[in-house]
Amino acid sequence: MAQIKNRLTPFFENITFDRDDNELVLNFGPQHPSAHGQLRLMLHLQQEQIVKAHPDVGYLHRGMEKMAENMIYNEFMPTTDRMDYIASSSNNYGFALAVEKLVGLEVPRRAKVIRMMLLEINRLMSHLFWLATTALDIGAMTVFLYAFREREYLMDIIEGYCGARLTHSAIRIGGVPLDIQDTFIDQLKNFLDNFPQAIKDYEDLLDKNRIWLMRMEEVGVISTEMALSWGCSGPMLRASGVAWDIRKDEPYELYDEVEFRVPWSDKGDNYARYRVYMEEMRESAKILYQTIDMYKKTQINNQTELMAHSPKYISAPKLDIMTQNYSLMQHFVLVTQGMRPPVGEVYIATESPKGELGYFINSQGGAYPYRLKIRAPSFWHTGILTDLLPGHYIPDVVSIIGTTNIVFGEVDR
Amino acid sequence: MAQHKINYTQNGGLPVALTSMDKVVNWGRSNSLWAMTYGLACCGIEMMAAGASRYDFDRFGTIFRASPRQSDVMIVAGTLTKKHSEFIKRLYDQMTEPRWVISMGSCANTGGMFNTYATVQGVDRIIPVDLYLPGCAPRPETLQYGVMLLQKKIRANKASRAQKPKRLM
Amino acid sequence: MRAYKAKGDVQAKPYYTDRYWVAPQVAKFDVESDEVFAKDLEVIKSKFDVLEAFIQVEQMTVFIKPEDNYRVLELLKNELEYTQLSEMSAIDFLETRDGFEVFYQMLSMNKRKRVRIKMFIKNGVAVNSVEKLFRSADWSEREMFDMFGIEANDHPFMKRILMPYDWQGYPLLKSYPLQGDEFASWYEVDKIFGKEAREEIGPEIRDTATIDRYDSERFARLGHEVPKGTKITGNEPKVTQSYQEDGGVFLIKKLDRDNSKVIDDPQR
Repeated sequence: MAQIKNRLTPFFENITFDRDDNELVLNFGPQHPSAHGQLRLMLHLQQEQIVKAHPDVGYLHRGMEKMAENMIYNEFMPTTDRMDYIASSSNNYGFALAVEKLVGLEVPRRAKVIRMMLLEINRLMSHLFWLATTALDIGAMTVFLYAFREREYLMDIIEGYCGARLTHSAIRIGGVPLDIQDTFIDQLKNFLDNFPQAIKDYEDLLDKNRIWLMRMEEVGVISTEMALSWGCSGPMLRASGVAWDIRKDEPYELYDEVEFRVPWSDKGDNYARYRVYMEEMRESAKILYQTIDMYKKTQINNQTELMAHSPKYISAPKLDIMTQNYSLMQHFVLVTQGMRPPVGEVYIATESPKGELGYFINSQGGAYPYRLKIRAPSFWHTGILTDLLPGHYIPDVVSIIGTTNIVFGEVDR
Repeated sequence: MAQHKINYTQNGGLPVALTSMDKVVNWGRSNSLWAMTYGLACCGIEMMAAGASRYDFDRFGTIFRASPRQSDVMIVAGTLTKKHSEFIKRLYDQMTEPRWVISMGSCANTGGMFNTYATVQGVDRIIPVDLYLPGCAPRPETLQYGVMLLQKKIRANKASRAQKPKRLM
Repeated sequence: MRAYKAKGDVQAKPYYTDRYWVAPQVAKFDVESDEVFAKDLEVIKSKFDVLEAFIQVEQMTVFIKPEDNYRVLELLKNELEYTQLSEMSAIDFLETRDGFEVFYQMLSMNKRKRVRIKMFIKNGVAVNSVEKLFRSADWSEREMFDMFGIEANDHPFMKRILMPYDWQGYPLLKSYPLQGDEFASWYEVDKIFGKEAREEIGPEIRDTATIDRYDSERFARLGHEVPKGTKITGNEPKVTQSYQEDGGVFLIKKLDRDNSKVIDDPQR
C-alpha cells in the first residue's frame, strides 16, 4: 500500500541510543488513553524509575482568552462551557459571578438557589466522572460502568433543565434564564435517596481492594509546602493538609446558609485524594438536600424573580420585553451592543470541582473585556507533575495523573 | 434468465461468488468496527459515555482500542489544534487499511465556535473524513447512529483489495 | 480608498460608539478602610516604593516598581502570610502607554484576603522571575512569555508552553489578529505536507456563514447530500438517510418499533 505523502520525519528525536548514564527518554502522549486528554509527558527513565519529568501542554489551546477580547460579555458565556467540560455550569458560574461583581449586581434569591443546585449537581457529575476514569485507568472496569450509570441520572436532570447534556450554559450574568422544571425536585430526590447506596457500592469495591491500595497508598505524595508553592487548590490542596474550601472560607451565593463539612487529609497521597473526593460527594449530596428545602421556601415566600433587575446591564424579563416598548429597546441594545461594565478590575475565585477557578477581568469601559485571564486549577495541577513524578515508577504515572483530576480544556484554554 | 451471454471467466472469477464474498467480508468489517479512542475535548466525554453502561457501544461490535494498529475507525472527537495536527496525521498513517474516520462534533468538522488562530478549521484539512457528525457536543445516540451509517457505507463498498485507498492529496 | 485600520490594536471593535459616553468607574476605596490591608500596606511601604494602592471589589491592588517585584513577593510570602500565588499574567497596553501591566494575584489563607500586586513595565523589558519563591510562577511566566513575549530573568526554562516551539508571534498582543496571521493560517499544512501543498488544500474557510450550493464536502446541502466529488446541478432530489438498506442486512435485525418496549422512567 502506497504511503501517503507527507513531510513528517520518523519520530526518533526522543530516543537517544548512546548515552553514558543509561537513561531512556520515553514519550507519553499527547494522545494516550490514560492521559485524560492531551497531555504529553517526556519522561527520563533510569530503568523503570523516573528521574525527570517534563509535561508538555497546549495541545488543546484554542485561544479562549483571545476570543473573550473579541466578544461581548454575554457572548462569551457558551465558550466557558468548553473549558472544564465535565462540569460546565461551574465555569459559567465563575464568569457570571465575576461580571456581576464588576458591575455590582445583586442576584435574586431563587436564582441563587437554582445556581447552587446546578453547581452541586455539576460537582457530583465531575467527581463521578473522575472516579470512573481513574478506576478505569487502574483497571477497575466495574466502577467505571457503575459511576457512569449514576452520572447519566444526573445528566437527565440537567438535560431536563437546560436541554444539554454536557455544555449547559445554564447560568447567565445576573441570574438563571429559567425556573427548574416540575419534575426536577422529584428526580433529584429520587437520585439523592439512592446515591448513598451507590457510593457504598464504589467503596465496597475499592476501599479495601488490594490492587487499588497498592496503586494508591503512598504514591504521589504531595507535601503541604509543595501544594501551596505550586498553587494547588481544591481536593489536591485539601488532601495535602490544608482545609481550604472557598465555599466555606470566602462564601459566595448561599453557601454560608448551608451546612456541610470540608473533608481533608494530611497524607497527601493518591489514596487521600480518593477519600477526599468520595467524602465530597457525600457533602454535595447533603448540600443538595438543603437546597431543595431552600427552593421550597422561595416558593412559599413567592420569590419568583430569576434575573437581577438592572436595566443598564441586564435585559428585562421576557414578558416585559414582549409588552413594554422601553424594555424591548433596552433588550435590543444589550443584545447587539452588549453591556458596558465600568472601568476597573476584578478577580473572583470560585470553588469549581477541580479547585479554585478564578476569572480576572480588566474592563476599560467598553463592551468587550480588555483582558480576561482565566485561572484554571488544572493548569497548576499539571505543572506539579514536574516535581511529583521523579522517583516514581512508570505504572505510578497513570494513577498520579488520574488522581490529579486534570481536564485539558481547562489547562490549555 | 439472462438474455445475453455471460462470460463467467472474465475479471478473474465468478461474479456470483465474488459478490457474496464481498458480503461476508463487509459483514465482518462492519460489525467489528474497532474504534480508536481519539478523545480530544468535550466530545471525547460523550464518546466515553457512548461506550459506558447506558449506551453500550459493545452491542455494535465497537470496542475502543488505544492503539492505531488495532483499530479500523478513528473517531476524532473534539477540537483539533494546530499544535496537535501533526500527531493526528502520524496516528492516521499508522492505522491499517481499510480505515475510516468519523469527525465528531462541530470543532472537528469545521473548527466550530473556535474561529481562532490556534484551531485547525476542520480535521478534513489533514486526514480524509468519511462521516461528519454535527452537534456541540453530539449526543451518544448521534455517535451510535453515525456508526450505523458508517456500517451501511462499508456494506455498500467493494471489499476487494483493488479498492483505492483514500487520499487527501 | 481603503479605510485606515490601526495596526496596534486589531481586535474587534463595537460598531457603534456613543461620543458622549463616559464610562463609570468601579468604586475604589481607601486602604485605610480595611484593617488587615492597612497593616499589610504599612509593612510594604516601610521597605519599598508604593506608587498607588487602593481597594477594589474587596481586594487590595498595590502598584510597585518593576525592579522590586521579587523582594515584595518575598516579603508577602515570608512575613505577611500570603502563601499562594494564585495567578499572574500581563495586560497589553502597548498602544496607549507602550508597555505592559504585570499582575500577581496573591492569596493568604490565614487572613482570608487576596492582594493584587501590579507593576508597569516598558516594552522589551524583562521581569524578574519569582519562580524561586513560588513554583507556580514557573508555568505562569512561561505562559506570559508565550502570549506576550515578556521574558523573565533567571527562569530555568524560558520556552513557549501553550503554542508550539516553532510558533511565530505572540497571540495575546492586541496587534495579533484573532484569526491569526499568515503563518498561523498555514501552520499545519506547511508542517505536514509542505508549502507546495497550499494550493491543493486551499485556504481555511473562516466565514461561518458561507453557503455554497455546489459544495459536496461540507454542510451546505442538508438533505440533498451527494457523494464527494460529484458534479452538482442543483436539482438533486431530497434523500433521507436510513441506517439499513431496504432489503435488510445479512444476520442483522432491524428495529421493529411495534415489538420494542419503551421505558418511561429512565431512573427505574
